[in-house]
Amino acid sequence: MKKSKIVIVIAAIILYAPLAYLMFYSFNSANSMSHFESFTLEHYANLFSGTGLLQIVANSIVVGILSALLAVVFGTLGAIAIYQLKNPKKNYQLKQLNNIMILAPDVVIGVAFLSLFTMFGIKLGLVSVVLTHAVFCTPIVVITLLPRLEQIEVSQIKAALDLGAKAKDIIKIILLPNIEDAIILSFFTSIFYSFDDFGVTFFVTGNGFVTLPIEIYSQARRGINLELNALSTIMIIIIFMAVIGYQLYLKRGGRNA
Amino acid sequence: MRKSIKLFTTMLVLAVAIIVIQSLSDQKVEASSQELYVYNWGDYIEPELIDRFEQESGYKVIYETFDSNESMYVKVNSGSSPYDVIFPSEYMVDKMAEEHMLVELDKSLLPNLKNVDPYFLDQEFDEGNTYSVPYFWGTVGIAYNTEIYDQLELDYPTSYQDLWNPGLVDNVLLLDGAREIVGSSLNSLGYSLNSTNDNELNQAKQNLLNLAPNVKGVVGDEIKMLMANNEAAAAIVWAGDAQLIQEDNENIEFITPQAGSNIYLDNIAIPKTSSNIEGAHEFINFLMDNEVASINTDYVGYASPITSVMNEPEHIADETYYPSAKIRENLEYYANLDPDNLKRYNNIFLEFKISL
Repeated sequence: MKKSKIVIVIAAIILYAPLAYLMFYSFNSANSMSHFESFTLEHYANLFSGTGLLQIVANSIVVGILSALLAVVFGTLGAIAIYQLKNPKKNYQLKQLNNIMILAPDVVIGVAFLSLFTMFGIKLGLVSVVLTHAVFCTPIVVITLLPRLEQIEVSQIKAALDLGAKAKDIIKIILLPNIEDAIILSFFTSIFYSFDDFGVTFFVTGNGFVTLPIEIYSQARRGINLELNALSTIMIIIIFMAVIGYQLYLKRGGRNA
Repeated sequence: MRKSIKLFTTMLVLAVAIIVIQSLSDQKVEASSQELYVYNWGDYIEPELIDRFEQESGYKVIYETFDSNESMYVKVNSGSSPYDVIFPSEYMVDKMAEEHMLVELDKSLLPNLKNVDPYFLDQEFDEGNTYSVPYFWGTVGIAYNTEIYDQLELDYPTSYQDLWNPGLVDNVLLLDGAREIVGSSLNSLGYSLNSTNDNELNQAKQNLLNLAPNVKGVVGDEIKMLMANNEAAAAIVWAGDAQLIQEDNENIEFITPQAGSNIYLDNIAIPKTSSNIEGAHEFINFLMDNEVASINTDYVGYASPITSVMNEPEHIADETYYPSAKIRENLEYYANLDPDNLKRYNNIFLEFKISL
């Protein structure tokens, strides 16, 4: 085997071993990950017999999709706005402001939003979580789109202007189609950021509305339930299939469809 | 462009569909019934009991969980959700009561309070149980590995002093808490774990520095995993953690030192955010019912302060998590020390950690 191949194999093992370990123990009849007793599907049965975990996953998915949609709309508009600025100083300043939102610690953003919602009397729940996630995902969309916008040949835009295109047309016909892939990419990045987030989310959940990370952290004091392993296994398999499905779709040439 | 519009519309439809399905399946309890917001530690109640309470009382329980006293405090303090029932530890009851965040309990609505063993009532952190009633309790003690002890040919520990045994070099794990570790050093010298006496604290510090050769590490949550994997002979841990270790490793035993140690209580209280104070009392009373407490204890596994549950044969036989009255005599709660004294405890613990 070539040296480079060995490195890839080792890297893959390091990356995937923890996932395999977690999936393996989801079939464990003992109630912890210290030793394997015997094979069981009990944890899967418990998961689907409704202790509320699926409901919580559904919450996380809804939050992920809605906040990512909002983030994509505002992020795309924001990226185009920064891109078309002619004043380089202003352009730079806005980019830095965008970065601050990405670098600000989660707790700070969380507490800030908690006080904001309390101040305006907005009830914590689905709406507050979606709004907050949309806010911290928007700058991620912006930094994903900006480099792509900057790669667009200026001559294209100049040509369009010469032919009498209005700003609206330029956005619709030149800018958006050029960055479409990046928009979709940033949409999925946002979903995953939203799905993962604990630090910010903790402060803005309430009134019985909980997302998956909140539930997992609150179980830590008493030891993680193997139902979570079962749930993780299902999610890993779904993502795995989605990735393979996407690859097949690309191969089939569906990209141009 | 069509591709992404299609994608985004599909996603939007999916999200809306989930919301609709969720709200439809949520109609089990009549929408008109009053709501009760319960804020508890994760996995700290038998879920069926919530269903049962909903059926018996007609309230709809909105159940939320937290992972630490501090995060619970922040959420309750913000007033963002109308929590009706919360589960703070004893020092948090003290703190929240002091800041006028708790509602005084109406004892006439809590007839089941008589089911609670008097040993747990009227404690310093909440005299006369004005604001809280006990939920579950436990002690700080020593978890030890009988197999390793047998290999080392040592007697099993019965008190904190036994951890100073020269045969235990590099074999003791400590949980990462100033009050717990400095407290056990004070206990091992026969002093109170709330001592503020200079002389006693100095001795406790010297004593801890002498323990250093035996200490393998001062660790957080991973103490459970390390003990379960036979990485050390003994560890100072909370009873709740010891239980989890025992589930993983059958050679682990847990004792509460006879000469004195810490006892901790998780409590039930009603925060001022409550808009359903009557329902909150009903829920608290429900949890103190003998039969309910017994079912709950079977699920949670911590020690119950309800007399009839403590007197169940299996719990009387369980010297480990229900220490005998003789041992309980010497147990102390952590007093809410003033910041200066708290700092002294932290400094001693810090010096000890640096010396390792």
